[in-house]
Amino acid sequence: MNPVAFTILVVSFLVVTMIGFAAARWRPAEDPMHLNEWGLGGRGFGTFVSWFLLGGDLYTAYTFIAVPALVYAVGAAGFYALSYTIVVWPIVFIFAPRLWSAARARGYVTLAEFARGRYGSQGLGLAVALTGILATMPYIALQLVGIESVLTVMGVGGTSGNAFVRDLPLIIAFIVLAVYTYLAGLRAPALIAFVKDALIYLTVIVAIIYIPTRLGGWGHIFGTASAHLKTVNPATGKPFGSLIVAPSGEWAYATLALGSALALFMYPHAATGVFAARKRNVIRRNVAMLPAYSLMLGLIALFGYMARATPAVNAGVKAGGGNSQLSVPLLFEHMFPSWFAGIGYSAIVIGALVPAAIMSIAAANLFTRSIYNEFFNPDATPAQETRVARLASLVMKVGALGFALELNKTFSINLQLLGGIWILQTFPAIVISLYTTWFHRFALITGWASGMVYGTIEAYRTPGGGQAHFGASTAPVFGHIAYIAIAALAVNLVVAFVLTPIFRAIRLPNGYDETRGAHYYADSVDGPAATAGTRGA
Amino acid sequence: MAHSAPAGKSPVKRVAITFLLLAAIGGTLSVPFYARSMPKLGDFPFFYWYQLILVPVVAIVCWLCSVLLRSKPTSDARSRHGGGLRK
Repeated sequence: MNPVAFTILVVSFLVVTMIGFAAARWRPAEDPMHLNEWGLGGRGFGTFVSWFLLGGDLYTAYTFIAVPALVYAVGAAGFYALSYTIVVWPIVFIFAPRLWSAARARGYVTLAEFARGRYGSQGLGLAVALTGILATMPYIALQLVGIESVLTVMGVGGTSGNAFVRDLPLIIAFIVLAVYTYLAGLRAPALIAFVKDALIYLTVIVAIIYIPTRLGGWGHIFGTASAHLKTVNPATGKPFGSLIVAPSGEWAYATLALGSALALFMYPHAATGVFAARKRNVIRRNVAMLPAYSLMLGLIALFGYMARATPAVNAGVKAGGGNSQLSVPLLFEHMFPSWFAGIGYSAIVIGALVPAAIMSIAAANLFTRSIYNEFFNPDATPAQETRVARLASLVMKVGALGFALELNKTFSINLQLLGGIWILQTFPAIVISLYTTWFHRFALITGWASGMVYGTIEAYRTPGGGQAHFGASTAPVFGHIAYIAIAALAVNLVVAFVLTPIFRAIRLPNGYDETRGAHYYADSVDGPAATAGTRGA
Repeated sequence: MAHSAPAGKSPVKRVAITFLLLAAIGGTLSVPFYARSMPKLGDFPFFYWYQLILVPVVAIVCWLCSVLLRSKPTSDARSRHGGGLRK
């Protein structure tokens, strides 16, 4: 264990935690046991904080550990993450203002409430809520795996045969996250997001300038990576990967990018970021600035090649059982002086902790509003709601721990992709429903169920990374390898499309749409928002 | 049917915005176009520098679209709200 790096990690963790708690006391809550306080940070986030909250959803262990690990192992195919984080912005630009307006006009705070209100369907709201909760679990698991990889490189735990010692870093990561979220709610992670982003920008800029000079320039880095990717993987009998996406991989690349982009803002935590914006135009303005995060993601993805060009990293990954998740922490260990490695580790750990806390809080809010209030206790007091949400956030993390322990960690990116398969099935009920209510509510529910079942079975049947099930998230569809989420969405839409006329023909009752055309253009006002004069639909 | 842009926008603007956004999405997803190593920029193969340069390009496109949408808050719904006029 490196004492300098370890000390810096612990100190920076303590400092940001104190900042979080101090800020809560500096702007004290009227009633800390109110769900608005614990779950929405007092609902007082303006443009600037919204930008950090929205962008923070992209800057997670996904960016720092999973994407470079994939690039390290298979090369160009891992770069789909950059395409994903580019294409997501024009897509969000199109639909997010409508979503924001409808939510503001009707007072929705979760996507499930929108689906329920749009179709007068408790069932559809429940489907959206359950999907959000389920899909967030593997995404949080990915954050735990990210923290675990840093702790492993630092020498906490180890490769012992004892299962408890082997999983010790993961268990420590889990406990820290659980205690942290339980006590602080959304306020602390939202404020720490600034520190987190500053640490990440610092680390990335230093790394992208300094490391190539130590490795003999980009020509050498790409050359070494290319040479490695061409060699044949003894396990599969094929090359490890390629420096440029091969024609056979183009469908997978494009569908992974598109599927991930369509899925991102269906996640509860990303939706919270949209709803937190103060005005309709804030979202569009933010979308034009948020690609700054995408650029960082692209640079971080290149860390995978830098790691490949560092012999000590390759040796370390091999010693860690071929766990490519270790490549970025190992790169920091071997390239940076130990004090700056400590800063880099802090960036990764805090960069995983903050989004994991925000994700589990958003999912807990979703449970409280759309399941507990809706079905169990409509007259819950605010204190009861907060207690339920806190417990729900713990359950979320236990579920996440289950995913992290059960699924293979060789490609942790697969955890995020698995969540994407599920969450994308709510797309018709949310985004398509922003524009039309042509679909029958029961057709949407059946379509959702079909997509969920198909996607889960396909993912279960896909081997990879040394395990028989849930090994990868791409599978052959009509002769092309494609992201299962997109195929499942197609199944979902076809079922909903075919059933809608049938359900209408047999006069199955459709629900009451409580939204009006003008709600979709509503902007924030001082008075009540739902009094617009025109109707657009 | 509702429109994605508020009522009252000129059709030219709406076409321009639609074109810009579709071009941004299409340019990102046309993998066969950029899955090549030549021409290189410095030591970077085309595949890498194209996508990295696409990031600021898409940011500018989104910014342009937001300016086009904001410049004329004509919709009566919005001006009656006042939200579109006050910054």
